[in-house]
Amino acid sequence: MNVASRLPNSMAAPERARESIKQSDKPPFLGFGLGLRAQHYDEILNSNPPIDWFEVISENYMLPGGQPLRTLDRICERYPVVMHGVSLSIASTAPPNFEYLQGLKDLARRVEPKWISDHLCWTGVHGKNLHDLLPIPYTSEALDHVVSRVQLVQDFLGRAIVLENVSTYVQFNNSEMTEWEFLSELSRRSGCWLLFDINNVYVSAFNHGYDPMTFLNGIPADRVVQFHMAGHSHMGTHIIDTHDHPVCEDVWDLYVAAIKRFGRVSTMIERDDNIPPLDELILEVNRTREIAGEFLVQLGKDSGKQAG
Amino acid sequence: MSDFARQQAEFQRGILTGDDTVLGEILDSPREKRETLYGVYRYAYGSRLVEAMRNDHALLHSYLGDEMFDEMGHAYVKARPSEHPNLRWFSQGLPEFLKSAEPYCNHPVLADLAALEKALNDAFDAAEGPVLDLTAMAAFAPEQWNDLTFRPHPSATRFDLSTNAAAVWLALKNDETPPDAVTLEQPSRILVWRQDTTPMFRELPAEEAMMWDEAANGIPFGVLCEMLATYDDPDGAAARGAGYLHGWITSATLTAVSAG
Repeated sequence: MNVASRLPNSMAAPERARESIKQSDKPPFLGFGLGLRAQHYDEILNSNPPIDWFEVISENYMLPGGQPLRTLDRICERYPVVMHGVSLSIASTAPPNFEYLQGLKDLARRVEPKWISDHLCWTGVHGKNLHDLLPIPYTSEALDHVVSRVQLVQDFLGRAIVLENVSTYVQFNNSEMTEWEFLSELSRRSGCWLLFDINNVYVSAFNHGYDPMTFLNGIPADRVVQFHMAGHSHMGTHIIDTHDHPVCEDVWDLYVAAIKRFGRVSTMIERDDNIPPLDELILEVNRTREIAGEFLVQLGKDSGKQAG
Repeated sequence: MSDFARQQAEFQRGILTGDDTVLGEILDSPREKRETLYGVYRYAYGSRLVEAMRNDHALLHSYLGDEMFDEMGHAYVKARPSEHPNLRWFSQGLPEFLKSAEPYCNHPVLADLAALEKALNDAFDAAEGPVLDLTAMAAFAPEQWNDLTFRPHPSATRFDLSTNAAAVWLALKNDETPPDAVTLEQPSRILVWRQDTTPMFRELPAEEAMMWDEAANGIPFGVLCEMLATYDDPDGAAARGAGYLHGWITSATLTAVSAG
């Protein structure tokens, strides 16, 4: 496949363009948001709830037309929106899927999202898609591959992307570095920003037996542009990232630690299943806002200035 | 093949086929064996896809019940692994699968029910297009009518069902006991489209279905009326044609009309 021919003409000087993407401004602070779900469309459109911004699942709107896209257009008129994908498969060793990337780019042209995010994972190879966020070994070979793939995607989209740490259930015996070292190096080399999923850190730390604070402290503070907060299912010996429960107290505690380390970061509640009424989720959104307010003020006092 | 690519291929093969080779490259956790941890991915694969099928085919699910639907769903997952990055398109092949795979092909109402649900899903998020309204028709002089051709709305699709799946669908939708499945002597002619944001369907009389199919092929109104004249009372053909056309326009199934 001729990759260069798929890139925009403006990439005539790809290195310069790439450097410009790498140096691009950090995405803005959006406040405290929520994942947009179809169950809440009517209520949101009818009542304009006090939510600072919405994150939308990109694939849910990579469609020809109809109600989902029409609703999204109306939401975009009222709220800042961020696009969050699940199928970029950035760490796949399969050839890049340019049809998917073009669909993503077309949607971004319509939505004008504040940023585009996906996950550090792969979803399939050899023409198959497992529709899961699959883990990778943290090797220098994998790192080189993902860095080049991120650069390619950023060149194609003409913007820096944001990548999220996923919940993992297994570790590979050939890993040469930690997940946080991998993410840090990926962000430094490719210029991508990081979406720090606090629940996923908690889940992976429990599953693999390390301290989530070690993960948290291993991530460069200036690269994180978004937090995810979510719930999970505890199986005793391991935790499954189901995103179908309220945020648990341990994850709220880790959120406080994340605020102390990363400062003011756009934060959202992510519920993917067992979707409750909007009011319940707004309570959680409000809690993210209140905790951030409390600890950012405290941090400001501690350091003699307002954090942010 | 790089080591990374080889490892991904084995990881995927372990999920799709149950092969355990990749376990040799995975660590036990402090609390759990690698088989169980890797099993989370194996379980999630099938259950996530079947869940997507439940969402796309809620009435087929209701018709079959949890156990039979999930068994059918896992058979479909195994026979037709997803090849599209968007889960939205995973169950597109279900009607064909049900038509050809044992034991489901012995119950043709299943494939028909799936086909009807698929068509409604496709209409829901089909491409946008203008909706032709009656005032546009007033722009044409009577002598132009014979040359008028029509373009269906992008959401509109027409197909035949061999069974009473439409009646089964309606009963299930209304939480009523569905009628016994039967194969019809004459196929049920279905038109599906989206009215504003709502997918709709209607069973058409054989004559109207014929006219729709020919109109969708670009046959002009005058010729359509000649065809209707061979179908039923020739004297009423033009009136019947105008009647069908009126119904199509008022229910938002057409997107454009042009003269010649």
